[in-house]
Amino acid sequence: MTLTQKRLLILLAVMIIAFVSGRLAVRGFLNFLVGGTMFGGNFL
Amino acid sequence: MKTKKKRDRRMFFVICILTFLISFGIGVISKIAVKPSWAKKYSVSMTDKIGKVYKDIPYGDGKANKFDLYIPADAGKENCGLVVYLHAGGFTQGDKADDADMLAWLCSKGYLAAGINYTLRTDENGKSVYSQSLEIKEAVPEVVKEAERLGYHINKMAVSGGSAGGTLAMLYAYRDAKDSPVPVKMMFEAVGPSSFYRSDWGSYGLDLDTDESRKSAAALFSVMLGSEIDAELIDTENYDELIKPISAFMWIDKNSVPSVIAYGAQDRVCPFKTVAHLVNALKENGVDYQYFEMPHSGHGLQNDNKLYEQYMNAVETYLNKYMPAEK
Repeated sequence: MTLTQKRLLILLAVMIIAFVSGRLAVRGFLNFLVGGTMFGGNFL
Repeated sequence: MKTKKKRDRRMFFVICILTFLISFGIGVISKIAVKPSWAKKYSVSMTDKIGKVYKDIPYGDGKANKFDLYIPADAGKENCGLVVYLHAGGFTQGDKADDADMLAWLCSKGYLAAGINYTLRTDENGKSVYSQSLEIKEAVPEVVKEAERLGYHINKMAVSGGSAGGTLAMLYAYRDAKDSPVPVKMMFEAVGPSSFYRSDWGSYGLDLDTDESRKSAAALFSVMLGSEIDAELIDTENYDELIKPISAFMWIDKNSVPSVIAYGAQDRVCPFKTVAHLVNALKENGVDYQYFEMPHSGHGLQNDNKLYEQYMNAVETYLNKYMPAEK
């Protein structure tokens, strides 16, 4: 695997983690305001 | 050579951070803005094809005593069904305009739909859940009269709402339906408190075995009731009679209307423990009801989309069964 391929993979992983974190952050904030669990129910 | 490698690595690190920030933002926006596909069905924008809205029709002396009436374009005029939807906002905020999509959806189903404003509680005006429920009771005959004036004869109605509006909807359906100008056929609501026992209100710190907790409970429930509750009475048998005017579950009997209700098990705003009284009363009195408990959600019913969809489907089923729209 070339260095460029490795870096692209890392970027992809960063994108997925950040996207999921963004959704979880909103869920966490809403849960803080009105109650709710971080996991379970809706996917993400 | 080494310097170039270092620069490359630093640049890649910066790109990673930027990618993270952009993807995080997209995640946040997607969570806030993208509605599940099934929910779009219940979020209707009012158009001439659906019907017409008559806004801010007065029904009382108060500045807030106004309602919006949604008339379906294809409504028959003889046997119309009315659905009243009452807005949320903790009895202190909110407006009928907040439910425009829901009212438009009901209108698109062939019902005359009414969003009624009530006087919101402030420290100065001394309004309460009880006074607000009386305003709704006063408003419904005016809604029916206005519909008649426009040429639509209403012969059945449903009452509904969310949170504070849910409480007021239940009070109208279970306490005041006998005085309604047209028969109330059903009620649907989500996350509205129906009981006010301090032992259930732990999320407000009212369930502690202390004088301070008893006094706080008496103070909060006095505000809601609109008259003074003595802290010494709050754990006694006499309390039931005191709080009954705003405790919707206490008014449920064998003749109570079919009901569809939804609550979040993690709710801290409308404490989840309050729900048991309501569900037991519906069950014990043999009322036709459906109860949707959302285990991962709080006051916004925000984490259980599948169950929320089932709740809305049940609302539609009950409307079709008890309030068939005639065109």
